[in-house]
Amino acid sequence: MMSGEEEENAAELKIGEEFLKAKCLMNCEVALILEHKYEQLQQMSDDPMNQVSQVFEKSLQYVKRFSRYKNPDAVRQVREYQLAEFELCVLGNLCPETVEEAIAMVPSIKTKGRAHDDDAIERMLNDLSLIKKFE
Amino acid sequence: MFLKVQMPWNVIIPADSLDAKGLMLKKAIVIRLMDEFACKKATKDLGYFMAVTTLESIGEGRVRQNSGDVLFPVVFSGITFKMYRGEILQGVVHKILKHGVFLRCGPVQNIYLSHIKMPDYQYVPGENGIFMNDKHSKIDKDVIVRFIVIGTKWMEAEREFQALVSLEGDYLGPVS
Repeated sequence: MMSGEEEENAAELKIGEEFLKAKCLMNCEVALILEHKYEQLQQMSDDPMNQVSQVFEKSLQYVKRFSRYKNPDAVRQVREYQLAEFELCVLGNLCPETVEEAIAMVPSIKTKGRAHDDDAIERMLNDLSLIKKFE
Repeated sequence: MFLKVQMPWNVIIPADSLDAKGLMLKKAIVIRLMDEFACKKATKDLGYFMAVTTLESIGEGRVRQNSGDVLFPVVFSGITFKMYRGEILQGVVHKILKHGVFLRCGPVQNIYLSHIKMPDYQYVPGENGIFMNDKHSKIDKDVIVRFIVIGTKWMEAEREFQALVSLEGDYLGPVS
C-alpha cells in the first residue's frame, strides 16, 4: 500500500506541518556536513569506510555528485524572495534555467495566492546563477 | 529531500562504562548515540538516518533496575533523507527491464519507473536494452534522470523505502 497520507504532495507544499518547519538542506550543504563527518572518522580510525553505514556512504556519493554550489550560504541569502525551505532547496539542487522550468520544478511557488510573479522568479534565478558564476 | 531534524533519544550506558566522569561520560553518550543512529538505518516518519550533527541536551540519567545500566534521555539534531510524493529529484539508472527501469537516489536503492510513466519512450531490445524516444533521447544504465515521486512505501522488515516515480511532467527525463 502506498504512503498513508493521501494528501501528501510536495508540489503543493503539503509535506506535513513538522517538515515545513524542519530545516531542509541542499545537496551542497549535506556534502559539506558529511565530508566533515568522514574526516572526523578518519582521524579516529584507520579504516573510516568500515565505520560508516551504507546509508552514509551512498548519500555522501550522491550529494558530492549532485552538488551545484560551492557556497551554500550565498544561496540561502536568496531567501529574501520568501520561499519555503523546501522550495529553496529544490531550486538549489536542480538549478532551473528559465522561469518556466522553475515553476515546473516547484509548482507551489505559483500557487496559493503568493506574490511570486514571473519577474520575481526571474530575478531570483538570475541571483542564483550569479552565485555560480562567482564560485 | 535532506532534512535537519531535532530528535529525542534514549541512550543506555552499560554499568561498567560509568566510572568515567564528566566529559568522558558525554563522549560515551555521543559514541553510543552515533552507533545506534547508524544501526537504526531509517524510520517511516523521518526517513533514512544520515548523521548526528549536534547533541542539544542530556537529561538526568535513570538507573535501570535489573541491569544497573543508566538511561540518559537526550535531544540531538541529525540529518535524514526522505522522499515526498510530488517531489522532483534526480536519480541514476542502475537496471533496465522491458517494462521499466530501476533507479537509485541517495540512500534509496529501490526506485521504479514504469514504462507506462515514461511518455514517448519505447523499449529498444538488444544485448543491453534501453529506452529511447523519437528524439533519440536515451535512458540507459548510469544515465541521470529527473523524475517526480508518485508514491513511497515503507518496508518495515528491511527498514527501507521503495518509491514509484514518473516522467510525466515538463522538464523531466534524462539530464545531460
